[in-house]
Amino acid sequence: APAVLAQAPVTIKMQTSWPASDIWMDFARQYIERVEKMSGGRIKFELLPAGAVVGAFQVLDAVNDGVIDAAHTVPVYWYGKHKAASLFGTGPVFGGSATTMLAWFHQGGGKDLYRELTQEIMGLNLYGFYGFPMPAQPFGWFKNPVGTVGDINGLKYRTVGLAADLMQHMGMSVAQLPGGEIVPAMERGVIDAFEFNNPSSDIRFGSQDVAKNYILSSYHQASESFEFLFNKDVFDDLPEDLQAILEYSVEAASTANTALAMDHYSSDLAKLQNDHGVTVHRTSEEILAAQLEAWDKIIPTLEADPFMKRVLDSQREWVERVVFYELMNSADLALAYEHYFPGKLKL
Amino acid sequence: MTDAHIAVGMLLILILAIFLGFPVAFTLMALGVGFGYYAYYDIGRMWRAYNRAVESGADTYTQLESWIGGFFNNRIFDLFVNQTYSVIQNDVLTAIPLFLFMGYIVERSNIVDRLFSTLYIATRRLPGSMAVAALVTCTLFATATGIVGAVVTLMGLLALPAMLKAKYDVRYATGVICAGGTLGILIPPSILLIVYAATSGISVVRMYAAALLPGLLLAGLYFVYVVSRAVLQPRLAPRPTKEDVGDYSTLQITWMMITSFVPLAFLILAVLGAILFGFATPSEAAAIGALGGLLLALAYRALTWQRLKESVYLTARTSAMVCWLFVGSATFASVFAYLGGQQLISDFVTGLDMSPLMFLIMAQIIIFILGWPLEWTEIIVIFIPIFMPLLPHFGIDPLFFGILVAVNLQTAFLSPPMAMSAYYLKGISPPYVKLTDIFLGMMPYMAIVILCMVIMYVFPGIVFWLPNAVYGG
Amino acid sequence: MLRYISFADDLSAWFGKVFAWGVMIMTLGVSYEVVVRYFFRAPTSWAFDLSYMLYGTLFMMAGAYTLSRDGHVRGDFIYRLWKPRTQAWLELVLYLIFFFPGVTALIFSGWKYAERSWRYMEVSSNSPAGVPIFQFKTVIVAAGILLFLQGVAQVFRCIVCIRTGEWVKAAEDVEELDKVLLETKSLDVLKSGSEAIDLPPGLVQPHEGRPDEKRDGDSR
Ligand code: NA
Ligand code: NA
Repeated sequence: APAVLAQAPVTIKMQTSWPASDIWMDFARQYIERVEKMSGGRIKFELLPAGAVVGAFQVLDAVNDGVIDAAHTVPVYWYGKHKAASLFGTGPVFGGSATTMLAWFHQGGGKDLYRELTQEIMGLNLYGFYGFPMPAQPFGWFKNPVGTVGDINGLKYRTVGLAADLMQHMGMSVAQLPGGEIVPAMERGVIDAFEFNNPSSDIRFGSQDVAKNYILSSYHQASESFEFLFNKDVFDDLPEDLQAILEYSVEAASTANTALAMDHYSSDLAKLQNDHGVTVHRTSEEILAAQLEAWDKIIPTLEADPFMKRVLDSQREWVERVVFYELMNSADLALAYEHYFPGKLKL
Repeated sequence: MTDAHIAVGMLLILILAIFLGFPVAFTLMALGVGFGYYAYYDIGRMWRAYNRAVESGADTYTQLESWIGGFFNNRIFDLFVNQTYSVIQNDVLTAIPLFLFMGYIVERSNIVDRLFSTLYIATRRLPGSMAVAALVTCTLFATATGIVGAVVTLMGLLALPAMLKAKYDVRYATGVICAGGTLGILIPPSILLIVYAATSGISVVRMYAAALLPGLLLAGLYFVYVVSRAVLQPRLAPRPTKEDVGDYSTLQITWMMITSFVPLAFLILAVLGAILFGFATPSEAAAIGALGGLLLALAYRALTWQRLKESVYLTARTSAMVCWLFVGSATFASVFAYLGGQQLISDFVTGLDMSPLMFLIMAQIIIFILGWPLEWTEIIVIFIPIFMPLLPHFGIDPLFFGILVAVNLQTAFLSPPMAMSAYYLKGISPPYVKLTDIFLGMMPYMAIVILCMVIMYVFPGIVFWLPNAVYGG
Repeated sequence: MLRYISFADDLSAWFGKVFAWGVMIMTLGVSYEVVVRYFFRAPTSWAFDLSYMLYGTLFMMAGAYTLSRDGHVRGDFIYRLWKPRTQAWLELVLYLIFFFPGVTALIFSGWKYAERSWRYMEVSSNSPAGVPIFQFKTVIVAAGILLFLQGVAQVFRCIVCIRTGEWVKAAEDVEELDKVLLETKSLDVLKSGSEAIDLPPGLVQPHEGRPDEKRDGDSR
């Protein structure tokens, strides 16, 4: 109706949990671009980096209160309010990838459980949408190659969230350091190793200056996605078509983000290898097995909470059926890769 | 009038309000919340609950309640608490009470007179030996405590009578104490640098590494000045006779150094070394320093229950003084930026078409002038955030800028009318030492501070070399 | 009014001083962390959370105490030239328009913020130790209440001063060393049994007013 078209554009103030220079700011921009175009300019965004209004870990509170209208974040940043938050992306790995678990969110009951957690259990005044299944996060940066559980025993390692519990169970001493202090701390021996997130974020962060062994693949944070938070009052006041645009643009941006990540993560990994003399490894079978054993010890403590037990049951049920299909069905991609690019993979 | 103009008005009101003499922390808080109420005023949000209550046919009481509640349904209140929480869990500011505690313990640990006497004897053959001893004592002591008032008054009671008795010139004697006592805000572990780091987002460890050489340079320039004046005008600082000083063997002097100079120097080096070489974060090093201070006081049998209590309580009061400023300024600054005040100032300054050097000089002159009526805490917490976003435009490194500010703010203690160092010293001097003498005695040091800034500008390596060598470029 | 002032001063001082001891716990706790990390390769999972919580609690709870002792920084280079009565009138107005709105906001929105944290029994996400932080968020409310009560006392101070022309001083308390030294004009406060290390005789620094005073350094 013309009455609607005549309205001034709605401006949504979105703050992320990322520094201004991080590649994830570009991911947030892809989302905004889609919303603004699809809405014909009826929605405008003001995108702010972490700290512009509130700190990176404060965005949930801020969206809930309406200090900001929206946030681009990950749920593990607010798992101090409810440990169940960590199950939406950084929980135990039963065999599903981030894509599998994002599918669980949309199709396997995750969305309802998330709604129950945020609306009923926590009484939050917001909506959350999930998008961009992140590639598994590397085990991280080490001064020397590590292959056995003995190699990592007693190492001082920096990580966050449930991964901290996991690494502690594996015999590492976990240190918590603010982001900006990681590289100097590493250089001076306050920590021996750390993980951050992905080759692009890690290279911008200067990881290659303090360690030369980059160990990929790990079970500690293997199925994370972005969380898009919207203040409920702001969202409810919008006409239905704009609400739909905000929600479905998350799905659209998910594909765009994946493409951008594939491009940048891989070229930055090559840059790390070729220009910075970084040796890239895969986490050894032994360490991966130890990670699973450590998860085994953590799962019962999580399941002590009835809600978390239901989430984990739902995830296991989904993974058991879906991943059976995925693994049985997917062709051996490594074989094909080896055929056309022989000798490159050292699995 | 646009929002940005209102923001500039907010800043002007702040400056006026500061001069009314009301505690600055609460002035900032009030203006932040007050202007924030305007900035975040949202009529739809305000009456949403009330409208719903009316639509749903709620009773009169509920309607009234939601109507009143509407006035408080403004995001500024949530922002205010969020910002306050960010301040109270700020891991950079955590070092402040610990370093203050270390300082209060050390200043009560009875080490300063021993240190001064020892250094005086050790330097007795130098021209102006007492002034040199006072300067070195001040530098070391200021470094360990960082509390300017205590250093100046202590030295005023200790070194000033000694110098006056030895017929030192009044201006010469008072100047060196005021200037030396102020070095503590520059030489790490300085509280000023922590506050600057927390305000600007620069790593504290880099600030410390960057401030070390400029701090020593400034102390060195003071030293050169003190000695050369004593050489050129021997009547300013008559040489002591053997009877004045007494006769000491090298062994005696060495023992005195070991029991006075060495422990304090060791404490300072341990704290700085731990930070610079990354064995500990600044907060951790501060805790170790406080523990070291306690042990040192214990060793000098100066750690009484009374003094421990004094140190603990004063730590709480001074920490509250500094950190409540942050509680006020955090909300003030975000409302100021939200209204677009920052942008307006940036546009205005960048529109002036200044060269980076001109901008740098202008900024330092503004800070210098602010240092006359104000103290460093207010200047850093309120005005640095306004300069900070302008630095990238002029290609000025915020680290370099910060060290220049720390050097510059030495003058805030030395420049009338609010020359705190002079007041402290006047308060404990004999009546014939006039305030104007003290002011005149301090003037050459203000010139040396400016000289030091020029040297740093010409040779920026003095600032950058150490942080780059230790932490990489 | 005077009774309320001294009641508020005492209350603020009591809370301020109790939480001030947090700095000792910080010193010991953080030092312990450094030792176990370097010598036993076993960092604690609580020291980091402990340190910022003690810092935050210490300075927040000391806010009212500092106010009662007039310890908050002021731009007072004009203010100090005025007569007490003028100062009091001005301060009275500024307390009403500057102080109370901000502090009241601190209490009420702080309550909303802390209450939510209590509801979740929120813990810190900095470490696996699950250090609770809901009590820490409550510090905002507690500090606000203390400031409010002290603010009322400050208003009474203004009223008394307008009537009498003189400010009501806070009770005797610990003072900065420079203030003590300015008052006593001697180093006696620093005297102690520190004869651990003998200094050679003849090193007595002449002391204004007390030339023959036995000083620490010259014992024996
Ligand atoms: Na990670
Ligand atoms: Na001044």
